[in-house]
Amino acid sequence: MLFHTLPFLLFMAVALPGFYALRRTPLWAPWLLAASYFFYGWWNPWYLLLVVYSTGLDFLLVLLMDHCPARGEAAPDRRDRTLRWSLAAFGSAAAALAVGAVVGPAALRPTLLAFTTLVGLMALGEALADRRMWLLISLFNNLFLLLFFKYARFVATNLNALLGSLGSPLTMPDPASLTPPGWEYLLPVGISFFTFQSMSYTIDFYLGRVERERSLLRFATFVCFFPQLMAGPIERARNMLPQFRQAQPFRLQNLTDGLSLFLVGLFKKLALANYLSLYVERVYSDPASFGSPDLLLATFAFAWQIFFDFSGYTDMARGVARMMGFHLTLNFRNPYTATGLGDFWQRWHISLSSWFRDYVYIPLGGSRSGKAATYRNLFITFLVSGIWHGANWTFAVWGVMHAVGVIATRELERSPFYHHRVPRLLKQAGVFAYVCLAWVFFRAADVPQALLILRGMFAGPWMAPGAPGLMLALVGGVWAYQFAYESRWRPMLAAAPVRVGLAACMALYLALCSSGGGAFIYFQF
Amino acid sequence: MSETHAPAPHPDPSEQPFGVNEMRMAGRHWLAVAALLVAFVGLAPILWDRWERFEPGPDYRVPYALSADYRHTQRRLAAVPPGSIPVVGDSVVWGEYVRADGALSHFLSRKTGRPGRFANCGIDGVFPLAIEGLVTHYGGALRSRRVMLQCNMLWMSSPRSDLSAEKEETFNHAALVPQRFGAVPCYRADAAARLGAAVARSIDFFGWVSHLNSRYFEQASLPQWTLSEPSSGSHPNAWRLPGPALSLDEPASDPQRGPSSPRHKPWTAGGGSPQSFEWVGLDASLQWAAFRRTVATLRERGCDVMVVVGPFNEHMVAPEQRPRFRAMRDGIAGRLRRSGVAHVVPETLPSALYADASHPLTEGYAELARRLWRDTAFQAWATR
Repeated sequence: MLFHTLPFLLFMAVALPGFYALRRTPLWAPWLLAASYFFYGWWNPWYLLLVVYSTGLDFLLVLLMDHCPARGEAAPDRRDRTLRWSLAAFGSAAAALAVGAVVGPAALRPTLLAFTTLVGLMALGEALADRRMWLLISLFNNLFLLLFFKYARFVATNLNALLGSLGSPLTMPDPASLTPPGWEYLLPVGISFFTFQSMSYTIDFYLGRVERERSLLRFATFVCFFPQLMAGPIERARNMLPQFRQAQPFRLQNLTDGLSLFLVGLFKKLALANYLSLYVERVYSDPASFGSPDLLLATFAFAWQIFFDFSGYTDMARGVARMMGFHLTLNFRNPYTATGLGDFWQRWHISLSSWFRDYVYIPLGGSRSGKAATYRNLFITFLVSGIWHGANWTFAVWGVMHAVGVIATRELERSPFYHHRVPRLLKQAGVFAYVCLAWVFFRAADVPQALLILRGMFAGPWMAPGAPGLMLALVGGVWAYQFAYESRWRPMLAAAPVRVGLAACMALYLALCSSGGGAFIYFQF
Repeated sequence: MSETHAPAPHPDPSEQPFGVNEMRMAGRHWLAVAALLVAFVGLAPILWDRWERFEPGPDYRVPYALSADYRHTQRRLAAVPPGSIPVVGDSVVWGEYVRADGALSHFLSRKTGRPGRFANCGIDGVFPLAIEGLVTHYGGALRSRRVMLQCNMLWMSSPRSDLSAEKEETFNHAALVPQRFGAVPCYRADAAARLGAAVARSIDFFGWVSHLNSRYFEQASLPQWTLSEPSSGSHPNAWRLPGPALSLDEPASDPQRGPSSPRHKPWTAGGGSPQSFEWVGLDASLQWAAFRRTVATLRERGCDVMVVVGPFNEHMVAPEQRPRFRAMRDGIAGRLRRSGVAHVVPETLPSALYADASHPLTEGYAELARRLWRDTAFQAWATR
């Protein structure tokens, strides 16, 4: 169910009044959870089981973690009933699953083996009564889900190509053959988001940053809160769980704020992203037929398309949550006005970059061990962040380009000349141009196509471009607005007539000229 | 990546920055926006209709390019003069192979001696299920008047044409068919498309936007129009302002029609031969059921309906199937008779006067008009 479609409007027409009506009763949380599961199940009801499973397991793991001593505490109390019972339960379940995997139907064998490993690890964790073990199981489980559904085919294809070139008779099976009967091998929408969100809870609990959530209902609502389930923002437990402790009172301001966010997001998606996508798709689907101007403009257009598409989704998600009184994290802050690549990442997909900062970069050592180690850590973090986006070498190259860009702009900023003398606008233009170059890899079907586009951009024939003036004017208008907002003109933009005028123009443009449907780009991640 | 973050364990979520560059509006601002929107949505189509005058001539037919502009069809039906008889039907009425002055309504009007007595209200590409939608949602002007309705048996000549097959099909005018899931088995649009079609029927503003797109922007939205590429490397609209595209001229008629066009030739000229049809029984036919509902709707509105069954090209039906075809045609006539619906079943035209299974050529329409006029009941009805 997409935010910009009529079924979502109908869904909200039921979910929102229902939420308001129930907010004074204990039923508001189950209502929110049911709405969230319905929202996800609308895409594919079978894959809802995956969300439920992931939620249930992480809730259980943190519960068990809570029964084990933290670092420096006394050894576990062996009389702890939870630990005793769960050891027995996991031990027998692991044995039963192992028997099932050996004698059961061949089609179920891979699934049963995966569960045997998982439950076996849990029994081991029980025996060791070690918090670290539970954390590792959570990481193993979430990353396994992510790796299996998102990367298994990519890994199998590349490995089989490698084995084939080495003349080996071994081949990796296609992951579709490992799914349980009746399941289609699909990339579950939002898997990268809900697994990261769930994982952050177990890590934060392990590190003592959050308390254990005692209500499975609240935790499940946190993992699959429908506004941000499909494509973020990736929320942290410490921001969201307290908000789910009690229903927010109805405030008109929340409703109007939510509508404001939703309108801006809808405009970004329907009027801008979808328009830009028509041009980008035409050029990127057959780049060899286009000259330099079209390739340059299509890359420029894609940079804005992905911004409008993703930030539009986030605005709508934040708007829908706000209507119910929930505050989601800010995810974008005019990224194309950034003056450095580091600055860019504090403005672009902020919830993801802060996730990687907290759970990858800092655990790797951050900037605590000298320049070389810092840059190594940055490199690894951006590489992982690139691969997070999808199973394709293009995303790895995109991540590496950003790592190089961040390191380069850090170094440049150390130079007094660059820091003080280079005009801000020039820095912004340089960062934008570099980000656009990286987007070529992000958008291209594969690395050879990206290289073809890059060659064409700078050494291709010069033909009159087909980029429409209206499209460029719309992008130019938004960019100018963002620059103005970040300048001394900001108070002028905050004037009520300007806001009302802009909102009316956006609504009218949407009514007259929106460019049709189309899913959000980030749903595929 | 900065490491300076040290968030409080439970930060106040309401302190999150608002974002979207503070495009934040209070209730009174939203009221102002809503008032502007309502005024525009309500007034723009009305004012536009005043500016874009519509005065159809006697042989007017809805241009091919505007076939899916149902609001335009609505205006066309409303513009049929009180003494004239709208002829409603598919491309057989519209005149697939002929010019506007070679269609059935033209020749029938000639018979009465009054140009425009019969008004061509056919739409290219529609079928009974779509005609039902058209009459129900856009045919409010068809009230308390004589209406000639054409029944084309082609739509019952196979489960695919009847839209009763289970296999998914894409077809024209899907927005006009019933949008309820399962109502048309081969129609597999998702909920968003079905809801969109239902909403577009009910709110005039969306019909008006669709009209603008159909008439001025080559049946595309404005953004799509700016990207049109008629031939490789040509982008005529990329830098055109949309304003000058708005003109009072209707889209030109298709040069591929009329006696001088290469398409205007007998069906046998291209090597056509009789075929087998998988006729769908009337009891099971979705198209026939829709046709009956259309007749009922028109009669409920006080219309005096005359149904013309045909002219199907019987020569194209394999000889062994002709008894089945005739039985079915007679079955239609029988059911209409039992329902008290005035109807006429003209005899099949000579083979050389058909362009395909159901469309006559220009001379075929002239002959059909002669035959209809010879039917005393029809003549009495038309001259009443």
